[in-house]
Amino acid sequence: MFLTSELLQLIIFGIFSVVSLIAAVYIINSKNVFYAAVSLAFLGIAIAVLIADLAPGSYSIYSAFHILLYVGATVVFLSISMVIFKDLYVKQERVTPSGIAAAVTAVALFLAFIFGLSSSSGTNVPPVSLQELATDLLTSFWFPAIVLVVALLTTLIEAITLARRD
Amino acid sequence: MILLGYMSLSLSIVLVAVGLYGIIASKNVIRVLLSSEIILNASILFLFSVSLVLGLVYKPIIFSVFAIGMALTEVVVAFAAIILYYRQKGSLEVD
Repeated sequence: MFLTSELLQLIIFGIFSVVSLIAAVYIINSKNVFYAAVSLAFLGIAIAVLIADLAPGSYSIYSAFHILLYVGATVVFLSISMVIFKDLYVKQERVTPSGIAAAVTAVALFLAFIFGLSSSSGTNVPPVSLQELATDLLTSFWFPAIVLVVALLTTLIEAITLARRD
Repeated sequence: MILLGYMSLSLSIVLVAVGLYGIIASKNVIRVLLSSEIILNASILFLFSVSLVLGLVYKPIIFSVFAIGMALTEVVVAFAAIILYYRQKGSLEVD
């Protein structure tokens, strides 16, 4: 009764932001990189849910794409490919200033974008139309689409070459 | 809704910091690759957060589709390089 759609969005955002942070921290801390790769799948799913949660009528089409292509292909490829290696355990070696460097970068990024976006008052995002999306993709962005297809084709050739090498 | 945009923007910056820490601190090449994937995910979330604040619909979806496609290519190429490195050195640790 008291659960409005905005409150529900905030609750979903809170849950999946915690999931994404835990998954990210586990990736950089786990001693076995296979489990880190599996954790990347959880991070990908959490990011897809967060994107859909931002504007469900507009961005959920991309969320489906993210789960299908990123989690379903990239992360599974990474996880399966790790059976090639004998020793997947890592030596824990920490460089002292790395935490400081990461924190300084985060603060600088945060300040830059908060000040950059402070003038925008925010507008409602209209729902997405698949027809307009396809038209935009095939008229304004046809060249990057061709480049992407060629890149994926060369990757396929490279994977075959690598698999056939003794 | 604008609050959600700024919150997810902040989350994406924290994820960038976590990924950056993983890249700098780790000497294992696979973990470096996985940390770069954290940054990729964070940057996509960042793109959608900024687009929500600015009211954009189609551009972030198209840009992210290209980014994910290129990320797939990048992962395969990086993994091939890692396999070659492992064959030569016998270890996944960077000197």
